Amino acid sequence: MITQTAPAQPTRARVPSPAPQRRRRKPSLYRTLSRVLIMLIVIVQVYPLAWLFVTSLRTEHDFATGDPFGLPSSLTWENYARAFETGDLGRNILNSFIVTMGANILIVLFGMMAAYAIQVLGFRLSKFVRGLFLVGIIVPVQIALVPLFIDYSAVNLLDTYQSMIIPLAGFALPMSIYLFSSFFEYIPRETYEAASLDGAGPYRIFGLITLPLSLNTVVTVVLVNSIFIWNDFIFANTFVLSEDLKTIPLGLQNYIGAMGKVDWTATFAAVCVTITPLLLVFLVLNKAMIQGLESGANKG
Amino acid sequence: MLPNRSRTSVLVFLLPPLLLYCAAVLFPILQSLFLSFFSWNGISDMEFVGLANYVRMLTADDIFWRSFFNALVYLAICLVLQLGGALVVASLLTSLRRGRELIKTLYLLPAVISTVAIAFLFVRIYSIDPVGLLNQLLHWIGLGSLERAWLSDVNTVLAAVSAPEGWRFTGLYMLIIYAALIAVPKELEEAAVLDGASKWTLFTKIRFPYIRPVWITTTIMATTYGLRGFDIPYLMTNGGPGQSSELLTTYMYKTAFTSTDFGYASTIAVFIVIECLVAVGLILFMLKRKADS
Repeated sequence: MITQTAPAQPTRARVPSPAPQRRRRKPSLYRTLSRVLIMLIVIVQVYPLAWLFVTSLRTEHDFATGDPFGLPSSLTWENYARAFETGDLGRNILNSFIVTMGANILIVLFGMMAAYAIQVLGFRLSKFVRGLFLVGIIVPVQIALVPLFIDYSAVNLLDTYQSMIIPLAGFALPMSIYLFSSFFEYIPRETYEAASLDGAGPYRIFGLITLPLSLNTVVTVVLVNSIFIWNDFIFANTFVLSEDLKTIPLGLQNYIGAMGKVDWTATFAAVCVTITPLLLVFLVLNKAMIQGLESGANKG
Repeated sequence: MLPNRSRTSVLVFLLPPLLLYCAAVLFPILQSLFLSFFSWNGISDMEFVGLANYVRMLTADDIFWRSFFNALVYLAICLVLQLGGALVVASLLTSLRRGRELIKTLYLLPAVISTVAIAFLFVRIYSIDPVGLLNQLLHWIGLGSLERAWLSDVNTVLAAVSAPEGWRFTGLYMLIIYAALIAVPKELEEAAVLDGASKWTLFTKIRFPYIRPVWITTTIMATTYGLRGFDIPYLMTNGGPGQSSELLTTYMYKTAFTSTDFGYASTIAVFIVIECLVAVGLILFMLKRKADS
């Protein structure tokens, strides 16, 4: 098969020659159809979100009586004001921020340390320890809820930031160890050996070589984990009760009033406010994030 | 192995992560296994009941079986939407010349949004009074007879709570599969086209076999995520009406934190873990065997 590739290569380089262009007319129906299909699927994917945003700008009256698909008759920011009045949005965002930062610091630092020990330092049971960490990728988080609830109440950790940070970091650790060790594989042995000859011990090598080289992987790990941590519902819902510590996903629940009556426009405004930080980071850094997600799974 | 390393340095780097991981993941797994042999409401003394919880779960608990089958339907819907949708879009995207990056970004957007927000959004999309997007759309295309309250109808509620989860992550899997598809050597495809292979043959004989390892990874990811799905059904219907959208995870959660039956909830949790392990084993077995034949 591969031997056939050599003659194929030059023809590809000459793409703008007339012959292939005429040939392109034949699959044009296929191409148009596939384009239409892609657009349709993208609309299904994105329209609900656009609708969410437009709804957050509608007046309550317009929303209740108007056509749900139609454009609003007038725009208003009043929903956003009401959203901030109804809930403690600022507080929720701050809490989410603290939890996301805390968990990310643990995930990056510990993930890098473990990967360094397993991949670079090496020890007799390193295969076993790597396998132990892999368990955490398959096991669902629900298994930890009851035991952690019991343990936390025994050591008075319920209703603290730590009660969210510890399990979030613990369950994210395997994936980050995996990503860091796949990256560490590519750092040439010779770099380490040269540093060793200059008298650097394992700590200095970690600080002066491994850590600075892995900054790109750090960005990837932080981005991917932040999505899950920022949006975590299950740990926050189980371990946190007080209003003061509620993160965004819990805060949003406050918008469902008594008897399930919902102030939809204010709710959607709140949703828009809370998804904005992550969305901005995502839109600015989506190349790095997309690359991270792709390489993470494709290496497996 | 690093020349100058010492045993202490290994421990210094390994112990903190291992301790955190044990505290948050490994120890709770063992603890769940242990608790599953007890009857305990969190206040009174723990009572050892042996396998009684397991016997109760497998032979005497209709809700458990109902949730189990619901969870399988939920998983099936998620897999079709996520893997099927991802594969279709990823393949189509490879024939596109411009705008790939934009489409990738747009497609990934729902994965960035919290499940609570998605649950809110879909509750509103499914609603009938005031009329939601879905019912309005059906009305417009002349299928008005299908209009209903999707979340209160026992026949549709399970599909209605599964779809958002599928919808949410299609972009993620599309991205992974797309990255694999563009890594298929162009030479292979061109050779096949020269031999007169149709688009379909090209896909089934060249592209798909080539991305099989990635396909296995994504299938395992999607399956284990589908089996642990919780947030969206819990938030949208809390398993109702009746038990018609109850999943094993929501049932376990309610058993633990509403009925405070910690022992029995742990039994269900152990079952969920076994279910995930069996599913991963089955996928590896089936896909590997197919590759060998």
